Amino acid sequence: MPVRPVRLFPDPVLSGACAPVGEIDDAALALARDLLDTMRGSAHSVGVAAPQIGVAKRAFCVDVTGHPKARSCHGEVVLFDPVVVERHGTDVGREGCMSVPDLTGDVARSSSLVVSGIGIDGAPTTLEVDAFEARAVQHELDHLDGLLFLDRVVAGNRVYRRRVYR
Amino acid sequence: MPHVAVTAVGVDRPGIVAAVTGVLLEHGGNLEDTAMTRLGGHFAMVLVVEVAEDASSLERALVTVGEPLGLTVTVRPIAEADVASDDGAAWAVTVHGADRPGIVHRVTTLLADHGANIVDLATRQLTTDAGTGYVVLLEVLLPPGADDTALDTALQALAADLGVDVHLRPDEPDYL
Repeated sequence: MPVRPVRLFPDPVLSGACAPVGEIDDAALALARDLLDTMRGSAHSVGVAAPQIGVAKRAFCVDVTGHPKARSCHGEVVLFDPVVVERHGTDVGREGCMSVPDLTGDVARSSSLVVSGIGIDGAPTTLEVDAFEARAVQHELDHLDGLLFLDRVVAGNRVYRRRVYR
Repeated sequence: MPHVAVTAVGVDRPGIVAAVTGVLLEHGGNLEDTAMTRLGGHFAMVLVVEVAEDASSLERALVTVGEPLGLTVTVRPIAEADVASDDGAAWAVTVHGADRPGIVHRVTTLLADHGANIVDLATRQLTTDAGTGYVVLLEVLLPPGADDTALDTALQALAADLGVDVHLRPDEPDYL
């Protein structure tokens, strides 16, 4: 399965709410592979949401392995139809996004959360994530609701122009 | 299409941005990067605008609309600049302490001497029962290979001399 081109702001696919995946069929598994391949094929990427590769479905992958700010780490994760069950605390951090090159912004996220969904094996799964993994999961979850980090910056003057992938 | 820098400053009141951008829209201007904020009861706008007409005719139109609002407006042509030329590591510098002349000048001179490029700077003066304080917030890019430890050492020496607190911290975003 190929690395898919990453859709860039202001592509409308990034602004709409995504439809549930439902049954984990061959198309869903192909989507999972494309998400993982695209994440692996993009320098610095720790996660990709389906709309970022042009698919308006509720699915994302994350992998924060080796990231210096990670505490919890579930390795390579694909989640279909994810739902946040619990969230605790708030941390502000500066985020960039593959779909919004050149801009970064300060975003408040829950410090930890419990998220449930369907795994790549088709079975229900629940993850407890915190620190950087929690931030990554929340960033990808937002994509499924058509939200970018730009929608969550803590103040209007907390968006920065910066070249993203050097 | 050429670009102009538009500046407008006046005592803050509702409607300033709507009035200025209305003129720009009527004259075929397209807003690019802008910064607009309240400074000490005044509203200040700096806008990079792609324009279809020359700067002087646009300035005349803006002055006409800005005058009843108490705005001082300028429009000047600007050279093309490459926004992708930002390079280096992002650092934040915070300075705060009792207000005195020269804080911004001496801190930014030191930063320039170390090759740091300021990409954003905001200051706030505030008066409390304890006196008048000054806060400086900077975003800087350090050139590749720059010695941040040496920069911090120099900043701390300057801070001691000025009697203020200075903090230097890495400010790289996380790419998700």
